[in-house]
Amino acid sequence: MPRAKSARRQQIERAVLYPLDWLEERSGLIGGVKYFIFRKVPQDIGWPQTLGSATLTAFIVQAVTGAILAMYYKPHPETAYESIRYITNDLTLGWLVRGMHRWGASVFIILMFFHMARVFLYGAYKYPRELNWIIGVLLLALGMFEGFTGYLLPWDQTSYWASVVGININGTAPFLGPFLAQFLQGGAEIGADTISRFYALHMLLLPGALFALIGLHLYLVIRLGVTSPPWSPEAAGRDRAEVAPTTNGRAGLVRPGSRGGLTRTGVRK
Amino acid sequence: MAVRSPLEQRRAQHQRYKEDVQRTGKPFYPWAMFHDTVMSLVVVSVIVALACIWYFTSGESPGEPGLLGPRFTSEADPGTTSFIPRPDWYFYFLFYLLRIFKWPESVILGTVGIPTILLLLMLALPFLDVRRERRLLRRPVAVVAAILVVLSMGILTYKGATTEESLGGDEALIEEWMEANNLPEEARAGAVLYAETGCQQCHLYLGAGSANLGAPELTAIGAEGGKGVDYFARYIGNPRQFGNTVMPIYGESLSEENLRQMGIFLDASKGPGGGG
Repeated sequence: MPRAKSARRQQIERAVLYPLDWLEERSGLIGGVKYFIFRKVPQDIGWPQTLGSATLTAFIVQAVTGAILAMYYKPHPETAYESIRYITNDLTLGWLVRGMHRWGASVFIILMFFHMARVFLYGAYKYPRELNWIIGVLLLALGMFEGFTGYLLPWDQTSYWASVVGININGTAPFLGPFLAQFLQGGAEIGADTISRFYALHMLLLPGALFALIGLHLYLVIRLGVTSPPWSPEAAGRDRAEVAPTTNGRAGLVRPGSRGGLTRTGVRK
Repeated sequence: MAVRSPLEQRRAQHQRYKEDVQRTGKPFYPWAMFHDTVMSLVVVSVIVALACIWYFTSGESPGEPGLLGPRFTSEADPGTTSFIPRPDWYFYFLFYLLRIFKWPESVILGTVGIPTILLLLMLALPFLDVRRERRLLRRPVAVVAAILVVLSMGILTYKGATTEESLGGDEALIEEWMEANNLPEEARAGAVLYAETGCQQCHLYLGAGSANLGAPELTAIGAEGGKGVDYFARYIGNPRQFGNTVMPIYGESLSEENLRQMGIFLDASKGPGGGG
């Protein structure tokens, strides 16, 4: 009996593993995911380091609710307002989707600022993570531009007049300003062309750029690792010369390299 | 230990970091992933809670506010004059910055200069601060800069959120202007036009209106000599001719006669007590 069971078990295992092996052999994706999930992170990281993934969650909420809204929203001055009214007041759970999109935008922006503050306070933008900081700044700018373009779409008085001011502000920039304002407005006045442009920017161009940059951002986080809190006595990568005497003055003298090899104290050099 | 260049030191530190993480680090799953999952659930719950509070405390009709504002205001109408532009909260700081700078000398500083400088500074940060030091107590410049940025953004956002603006094109307001600014009767038509064409969305007049895009206050514009009715009419007709690229061109929507009436109104506006 046990033999039969084990044979069946083997069969099941093979059936489960076959597609995974198939995928791994052709793409290496399974190994990549395994590396991502089981990679080591510094032992002293905790809640502050969740702000990045929290921001990603808020972005995913925006992407999902935005896609649903796009199924019902009609981007034209004559239909936009009515479609928003319909989504909010009549459509089943439409209020929840629009409410989540609307308030999710604020949460997304707040989390980006908090995440940025954490990175700044931890000095995590320093070598070798400079490029990832720059990508983060671009993500913040693009995120705020998402907020600006999305604000017009409900086509109510608040959104219309805020966009008038916003477009005029862009118009005051030297050299490119008037062209930028003209491009955003799309015509002689804010109307059908403006809605189309803001809509295209808001749900095609900007989210595409955001997705791409977030992918790059995450790739660099995985490649370079997460920073320890700088004040942690166990911070990964800390200077040995300063820490060693305060924690255990004899570590390097009595048992050289017993735990970490000779390089820890620089003896090998 | 031999003295090493800063770059070599940084490389050695990152090498140490990688070794430390390999030796003493914990696997991402389940430790960090647990924290991330809990935090993500909190984020989604907060978003759903905000949506619920927003929806269930507000009414179905436009402009019926709940705890978190109305579901929507009335439909966009380019013809209205009484609506105060207000961006989403995270642009309040920029919005308020525009009130500090006045057209035309310094408005570019507020609209473009400061935001651009901030953005460039943020992009350049890792190259301005190249020391390896990460502990806060040993980075006084960074800490002071961070506190100043947070404080100023906070104050500007708060100011932008709480600034009260009054707009109105009703007769009582125009009567008040006639009285306070000692306007002659022939300026009345221009005053009515001023209140109806949306000038107040950017300009202040006797404390009423708004101060957007660095537009000047017009209460005593007529007292600044060397202008006159014709000048004002031509300026409103096409501000571009006067090097103003921000103000809308009213020559397309207002007749010659209307422009002249506005000119009379502005020319007569010499401030309270300045008329006589």
